[in-house]
Amino acid sequence: MQTSFLTLDGLSKTYGNFIAVSGISLDVGKGEFFSLLGPSGCGKSTLLRTIAGFEIPTAGSVLLDGADVTALPPEKRPTNMMFQSYALFPHLSVAKNIVFGLIQDRLPKAEIAVRLSDVADKLQLGALLERKPSQLSGGQRQRVALARALVKRPKVLLLDEPLGALDKNLRAETQDELVRLQKELGLTFIIVTHDQHEAMTVSSRIAIMQSGRVLQVGSPETVYEAPISRYVAKFLGETNIFEVATASSDHGLATVVLSGFDGTYRARLPFGMSTEGPLWLAVRPERVELARRGEGVPGVVQGITYTGSQRRYRIGLSMGATLDAVRVNSGGDDVQIGDAVVARWADEAAHLLAE
Amino acid sequence: MVTLKTMGQSQRLLIIPPFLWLGVMFLLPTLLVLAIALSSTRVGMPPYEPLFTWDGAMLSINLNFENFQFVLRDGLYAHVYLTSLKVAAISTLLTLMIAYPLAYGISCCKRPWRSGLVFLVIVPFWSSLLIRVYAWMAILSNDGLLNSLLLGLGLIDRPLQILNTQTAVYIGIVYTYLPFMVLPIYSNLADRDRSLIEAARDLGCGRFSSFWRVTFPLSLSGIVAGCALVFIPVVGEFVVPDLLGGADTQMIGRTIWVEFFNNRDWPVAASVTVLLVLLLVIPITLLQSRLSKMRV
Repeated sequence: MQTSFLTLDGLSKTYGNFIAVSGISLDVGKGEFFSLLGPSGCGKSTLLRTIAGFEIPTAGSVLLDGADVTALPPEKRPTNMMFQSYALFPHLSVAKNIVFGLIQDRLPKAEIAVRLSDVADKLQLGALLERKPSQLSGGQRQRVALARALVKRPKVLLLDEPLGALDKNLRAETQDELVRLQKELGLTFIIVTHDQHEAMTVSSRIAIMQSGRVLQVGSPETVYEAPISRYVAKFLGETNIFEVATASSDHGLATVVLSGFDGTYRARLPFGMSTEGPLWLAVRPERVELARRGEGVPGVVQGITYTGSQRRYRIGLSMGATLDAVRVNSGGDDVQIGDAVVARWADEAAHLLAE
Repeated sequence: MVTLKTMGQSQRLLIIPPFLWLGVMFLLPTLLVLAIALSSTRVGMPPYEPLFTWDGAMLSINLNFENFQFVLRDGLYAHVYLTSLKVAAISTLLTLMIAYPLAYGISCCKRPWRSGLVFLVIVPFWSSLLIRVYAWMAILSNDGLLNSLLLGLGLIDRPLQILNTQTAVYIGIVYTYLPFMVLPIYSNLADRDRSLIEAARDLGCGRFSSFWRVTFPLSLSGIVAGCALVFIPVVGEFVVPDLLGGADTQMIGRTIWVEFFNNRDWPVAASVTVLLVLLLVIPITLLQSRLSKMRV
């Protein structure tokens, strides 16, 4: 990993008895697209607002580009925020909204004009500059809010649920645009989202949060393929989880006996994880293979959900548990409800989790 | 936008009572005053000639514009109009300067505190205006509370003449009309979107410039409403200048009173009134249309 550009060191924020953020330490590299992902109330917005300077942490510090900014008010920080509500100034035109911060910084008029036309080109706002925010669509407002933050050339751009108000198609388009802009400008982006799909799509790394703590930090592949806990595995996509009765490790793989299952299974053991204590085995539905006969866990198809691009099967296993399997829709569907099938997966598709 | 044409039947029924009320209680009296202004004086009851006469075969309408000519020609009335406008303008400004910080302060308080503070602003309405103005006479008179206090503290060695001066009129008007300025500004500021202030801070504004560049311009509609609510009635204010003012504050309300009840010249009094209404309605209509264009 690159050297740290933004360092959060032991950040805590409490409101009375309520702990919003609890002892979070994170390093974000320069030029990263970093996501804070978690359900609502997990402290991700508070964390972002602490970086922006709107919240003074109860404990810990924020270091940005080598300088301690913990005590600086928002107007003195080299960060800019794109607000969830966009917070466009309703009394000012689009152009005046965008240059608001530049005027405050007393930049020369010529410089302001150049930066305005640059950012208007980049975000296709040229035709809207004279309009008032009330005359814009949701997507246009979102681009103005982004332009207003970007035009100040912040060291870190903070995005608070930036796409929450957009419809699904526009959201996908905007995600691509954000990634393109971030690469083009080489800026550091920190985005807060509760949408795991969005976090996976845009970020270079994701921090998964719950109840004011960071549970895991890693690339989208890492957190999806090698979640460290049941919570992370369930939060990111869907997964089949079975309780492990006994486990023994050898060279990064483990041999486990599953409660209620016959025989032994092999599974990846995350580096440093002990085979002592309660463990679970996780298999993603898309890694489960269904067959009519042969090796595997026997079961009966209980339900089929058709979602267009794929079919999802719910298999009732003989020992009482259920298992989900997903198949890409490649035309035809030979498996029907009530069919007896066997489910199997490759050893490296199974993964051991701690609580 | 909802217009009379796009309204449903029930909506149309719903707006009939207020319009009926305005027609009977506002439009009709205004037309009556206009009719009196266009008639001639006579001795008797009522003290003006009828506008329309019917002698069994012919309807004659007698419009008399002499009253308007008289009021417009006599420099005294022009002077009184100007004094009224000046007093109203200065009191509106003074009220605004006190009301805005007050409204802003209340809007910054925690929610449970706010309604209590707003309540305190409107508490004076619970007692009669006359009693409150008499209280001010007791405070401001030469041997009143204020002078006794200042004398007792040794700040002055003889009483200040405040009562029966223009200063007393300003004090009385600002006091009386303060709630009318505070309430619209407060309701505007209380609704303000705090995320806009955060956005301004984030973009480099300190506390003062975020107020000046965002909060203040967005509260202009509240300021305009408050100023209109103070300025318009103050121009015609009668009680406060009559009780607290002296000979130097001859306002239009007093003039109308004198014409109606001392000189018993109803047509001239009505003309003064009609001109006052025109003086206020025309600029306000222009302002309104400007504002509604700005809002688009």
